[in-house]
Amino acid sequence: MEQIINSLVQFWQYTGFANCTWQNLAMILIGIGFITVAILKEWEPLLLVPIGFGMIVGNIPMFPGLNIGIYEDGSVLNILYQGVKQGWYPPLIFLGIGAMTDFSALISQPRLILIGAAAQMGIFGAYLLALAFGFAPNEAGAIGIIGGADGPTAIFLSSKLAPDLMGAIAVSAYSYMALVPVIQRPIMLLLTTKKERLIRMPAPRAVSQREKIIFPIIGFLTTAFIVPSGLPLLGMLFFGNLLKESGVTRRLAETARGPLVDVVTTLIGLTVGASTQADKFLSAKSLLIFGLGLLSFVIATTSGVLFVKLFNLFLKEGRKINPLIGNAGVSAVPDSARVSEVVGREFDSTNHLLMHAMGPNVAGVIGSAVAAGILLSFLG
Amino acid sequence: MERRLILTLLLLTSFVLGARSQNVSDLIISEVLATPDSTGFQDDFGRRSGWIELYNTSTGTVSFGGCYLTDDLSDLKKSLIPKNDLRTKLGPRQVTVLFASGEGNDGTFYAGFTLSPGKTVYLISNDGKTVVDSLPIPKDLAPGESVSKHASDAKMLRWTSDGKGGEPSPMVRNGDQNAETNAQIMARKDPHGWILTLVSVSVVFSALAILWFLFRIFFELPAKRAAAPKKAKPAKTSGQGIPDAETAAAIALALDMENGGDTYAAIALAMDLYFNDTVHDTEPYILTMRPSGPSQWNDKKLNFRKLPR
Repeated sequence: MEQIINSLVQFWQYTGFANCTWQNLAMILIGIGFITVAILKEWEPLLLVPIGFGMIVGNIPMFPGLNIGIYEDGSVLNILYQGVKQGWYPPLIFLGIGAMTDFSALISQPRLILIGAAAQMGIFGAYLLALAFGFAPNEAGAIGIIGGADGPTAIFLSSKLAPDLMGAIAVSAYSYMALVPVIQRPIMLLLTTKKERLIRMPAPRAVSQREKIIFPIIGFLTTAFIVPSGLPLLGMLFFGNLLKESGVTRRLAETARGPLVDVVTTLIGLTVGASTQADKFLSAKSLLIFGLGLLSFVIATTSGVLFVKLFNLFLKEGRKINPLIGNAGVSAVPDSARVSEVVGREFDSTNHLLMHAMGPNVAGVIGSAVAAGILLSFLG
Repeated sequence: MERRLILTLLLLTSFVLGARSQNVSDLIISEVLATPDSTGFQDDFGRRSGWIELYNTSTGTVSFGGCYLTDDLSDLKKSLIPKNDLRTKLGPRQVTVLFASGEGNDGTFYAGFTLSPGKTVYLISNDGKTVVDSLPIPKDLAPGESVSKHASDAKMLRWTSDGKGGEPSPMVRNGDQNAETNAQIMARKDPHGWILTLVSVSVVFSALAILWFLFRIFFELPAKRAAAPKKAKPAKTSGQGIPDAETAAAIALALDMENGGDTYAAIALAMDLYFNDTVHDTEPYILTMRPSGPSQWNDKKLNFRKLPR
């Protein structure tokens, strides 16, 4: 009998109930919150559902040493987590993004590329702020990249510069990407006049297939020669796009933008979520990172909109750009472009800005990868 | 066929050459101590002898098993480094030390000769012929002093020796004792981050501006030029590009007789579409045929077994 009781006591010590802390419960609740928002509000469900469930998985209280936790060498979760830690998943996601992105909007109006560059100010604004709050330069760089509004880039850079902060940075980046409509709309309205919101832009010209094929090659050569440290992201992005546009590699392109990106997104979401173990995640630093992440999105949106207004000063009537597409330089594809369209149609239901906004939007993807490369070369 | 073969061979050759760059050729003799003093580095047997430090300059793991060490160019295979020891794999930018104890049988990390000032130490590739690297020992090298190489470029790929003796630093990358990380350097040089911010923003803008420039020059402008309406050569004009009254009247009369107002509208619309380049989208030239619903070929109902009545 005593043996049975001892065994039960021993078993109890292995259960989640015996090892539970309030931090674990808090993180589980946050995970449930993510899943709820993703399902009910449909905010980035493809990301928030895996991340939310990953948070629950990573915060099940357990007895250490069973080789099952994400931070325990050789465990299944740990092996899957290597894709995040070593930076394998983000370039694979970029391959998929490249294979699903149509750069026509950008090719037809190359001037919109500059809006994508202006919106990267969010990254460097957050970098300056993070330094002011006492973060080391490498940590500040990793936090700043949240402003690029690009989850894979944020994971890639933080895994290189500040692996300890990666969980908080990734969750912050994906959370704010889901909140793009909420964050950007008031800033866009605040910074534009009614007259500016009604600006109609000339229809983009049709882009030939030849231009679409040449774009990834020239784009890659230009950016990679300037910032070779962005090679994994830029290379995969443009390679994926070449697969799509070449017209002779349809199967590869379909795999890249379909099954491959789905598998990697599932794994990256789950493992990033699971990496937020309460003892490593719940800290004042994480809260500060969340705050700085929000500010980086605000700065990025503000810079994009203000840059368009500045740009308009040098453009002739009829060539002016609607500043409502300035927010789209934040590279949350295609959410921020969608925000431009929705806000634009609030003021003129016949003024469609989506195609125009896609230009800076995809330029933002290139810009954030370039910015990540620069930060890596300076701080890595 | 021959052309393809040559191309394949060229590709394979470049691959092999590329693979070699991550090989023993990346190893250097980074430091040598010829004569130990009483405070020097001890081997596994507690002895003090001369030693040779190898450094892997590459960013990949290199195996030096099967290579040779010698101090005599007429005997390149003087001391073999055993091939089958896993410890002979040297990680990226890592160092290891081999003792020149004169007793090569003592273990993997022992050379079968001793060192003396005035000689040169050579690392020979595993083919037994190629000299991978060498380091001359100065004649006046005092006991307890070592001669070493230091990186002379930012990429840390070129290593040179000043040929002078100095404080030995076995098992440590030379010049690396107090090396700062990039982040530490930035924290010291740019504590508020303004320099990095300005540089980075300039680079991001430059990169994308170059892209803009290239596409504007090579695609946007030619496309605009092609889309611009071409000036038709008038058949007969009054000399100012305007059809003279007689020609204009004849055209108007002919059109009026042949066509009604609807035709004019259609012509105007067609011309507008043509000159504004909105006639056609550029199609991807891929036709997709997707059945709208079950047909006689794939309708599941056709596979149902009919119930006996």
